[in-house]
Amino acid sequence: MGSFRVPPKAVPSPHVRLALRQETVKDKYEDIPTIPLQRISRKSAMSLAEETPLRAVQLEALTVMKTIKHCATRHPATATGFLVGMDNNGLLEITNCFPFPVVDLPPEAQYEQQHQHFNSAAAAPRAKANTAYQAEMIRMQKEVGVDANNVGWYTSANLGNFVNSNFIENQYFYQKEVNERTVALVHDVSRSSQGALSMRAFRLSPQFIASYKESKFTTEALQKSGLKYSDIIIELPIRLHNAHNVTTFLNQVPRLLSDGTMRPPTSVSSIESDPAITSDDLSPNFDKLTLNIDPFLQQTCDNLLDSIETHHVESNNFSYYARALGREQTKIQQWQAKRKAENAARAISKQAPLPEDEWQKLFKLPTEPSRLESMLNSRQVEQYARQVDGFVAGTSGKMFAVRGNLIPGETGVSAE
Amino acid sequence: MVELDSSLHLSRPLGPAAGYQTSTTPLTVVIQPQALFSILDHSSRRPPDQHRVIGTLLGTRSDTDDSSVTIHSAFAVGHTETTDQVEVDMEYQKAMLALHMRANPKEVLVGWYATSSELNTFSALIQNHYSSQGEGTYPYPAVHLTVASEAGKDVEVRAYISSAVGVTPERAADSAAFIPVPHSIAYDAADVSAIDSLGGARDAENRTTNILTDIETLEQSLVSTIDMLDRVSKYVEGVIEEEVEPSTALGQYLLNTLALAPKVEPTDIERNFNEHIQDVLTVSYLANMVRTQMDLSNRLATSTLTMGGGPVGGTDNNKEGGDRKQNRGPRQNRGESISAV
Repeated sequence: MGSFRVPPKAVPSPHVRLALRQETVKDKYEDIPTIPLQRISRKSAMSLAEETPLRAVQLEALTVMKTIKHCATRHPATATGFLVGMDNNGLLEITNCFPFPVVDLPPEAQYEQQHQHFNSAAAAPRAKANTAYQAEMIRMQKEVGVDANNVGWYTSANLGNFVNSNFIENQYFYQKEVNERTVALVHDVSRSSQGALSMRAFRLSPQFIASYKESKFTTEALQKSGLKYSDIIIELPIRLHNAHNVTTFLNQVPRLLSDGTMRPPTSVSSIESDPAITSDDLSPNFDKLTLNIDPFLQQTCDNLLDSIETHHVESNNFSYYARALGREQTKIQQWQAKRKAENAARAISKQAPLPEDEWQKLFKLPTEPSRLESMLNSRQVEQYARQVDGFVAGTSGKMFAVRGNLIPGETGVSAE
Repeated sequence: MVELDSSLHLSRPLGPAAGYQTSTTPLTVVIQPQALFSILDHSSRRPPDQHRVIGTLLGTRSDTDDSSVTIHSAFAVGHTETTDQVEVDMEYQKAMLALHMRANPKEVLVGWYATSSELNTFSALIQNHYSSQGEGTYPYPAVHLTVASEAGKDVEVRAYISSAVGVTPERAADSAAFIPVPHSIAYDAADVSAIDSLGGARDAENRTTNILTDIETLEQSLVSTIDMLDRVSKYVEGVIEEEVEPSTALGQYLLNTLALAPKVEPTDIERNFNEHIQDVLTVSYLANMVRTQMDLSNRLATSTLTMGGGPVGGTDNNKEGGDRKQNRGPRQNRGESISAV
């Protein structure tokens, strides 16, 4: 702790000065290869998309770490941000990510003004202010050599509850651009805290985009298009990639317990209080072997109840609509019958008949509610069901193993 | 501001307003891994003619006594070095800082980094600039981090703070005494699982790996646990055969650990096991049932109302639903048979 360094007297001559540059360094970095996708015409972009559809997503280690950090600091609120990278022949490489600014409103403000919720993190990716922020950030990053193409956005989730209208609208906002090769990256914070990293990439399917453009989700439209709730989003496989110096760093990440030899301990308490053991953050993690199922089951049941309630609300809406429609139609028929009788009477008394299709102006048929919410809800429930299945598989294995070990004599290993 | 004293301050150098800081405890620097990864990323994409690149560090200071600085993130700043002049793009730095503060309002400027370990006059200049009043870290010392990543060698991370040194004000402007400070890299629980997954790519040829599913991570944990148990049992065997030095403390510790296995009545075990596994299976059954119900209601809502018509995929889905129920059947039977024992 006593040493310090004096910089060597490198320059005998003049006076070095620190100049403050006024102009930008953009001209120096022109040779960095970035594909200026904004200049590609719509036709060539579409033909590019048709030739090599996006097959997979490759995540850099940096993106993973930054996303996880941002989502963890904002837990349990939603955290969103955007991704930059490059499209490499059907493999979307994501090299960096940045969070969106969020205005933290006090809870009371949300009740006062409805439109303020537009600032919330969940809607952040499509807010106009944030589009400008994103463009500005990308422009600045380009000067230092980061990939300058926006390839999507990321969001945090809690046990799979990300399939909602915010998610769909955000992804639609990205996918309706000229460059539509964008993905939504979902990081599930609760499942990652149980030990295994959970990152998934999604895109909206082409059929869904076509239906969403017209925003007609009525019964006949759905019958015609044959869109099922399971086709709304498609998932892309993810690969993790490390740069060379990251690999070097990972290899040397201090694992105190595995380098060198320790002196034999002198007492049990010295083993337990050895700082090499207690402060080794990266010692092997036994969270995946835990048998604690209650938080997961509880959260899943809560989520399922919410979805069932939404489903009920939607189907009540729909039956309300059906009843109203029926009532209007009987009224119309009664009116038409009355009109016909009147016309018959007037025909007898040689008067001009009244028009028979005035009912279109007199009676207004109720509009059919959109089925989009119920489709999203069903997709969400499917997500939960799949998660639970995965969880059950792991847990029943662990349960049987523990039981086999605890029951004396069953597997030949006695527990003492 | 110029130290006219001839002795060397070995504790944290005080800022010019000496009464401001009440303690001279050494400063510690805590680096969060994503900042380090940002720096490594920047150093790997620097322009080929530049030996080192620099950038700004953002973070927070500990509230109580300012003796700990946590570095949350970092961004790159363009700069050029020639033999007698260095230029740093401060406009860019100010603009980036403003953008960054919008997204993370709690972070402040805490220092700067460079991607090579050498400290020279230019480092001193830049350091003095960062510590200065106005946009610098005044009155706190600016932290200078060097992250050296050369091919074939380990990644070296060093942290320094500086104090002014020099006889005249002109010389003091371009010289600085860099004092190393202890630093550490702090990993959160979330970071640990990410590093584990990324570590899977360590030995792969193209340094890529897939994200593992739950079952696969469970398998990995079990394999590593078995590995550790093997090591311990080898050690114990060695002690028994008197090839290895025995240690009473280790023996006692192992005995304590083994005694942790609970001694429970078999009937209690059976009962707990059944309840536990029935909970899990019930939730799974309910979730799948809700899913099937919703699927059915969706199909009924949009099906054509003709006799014998109906959506084309309808029969397939019913078959799927039937299979799923059959799969559930044997598991449930097993559960029932156990509870009957």
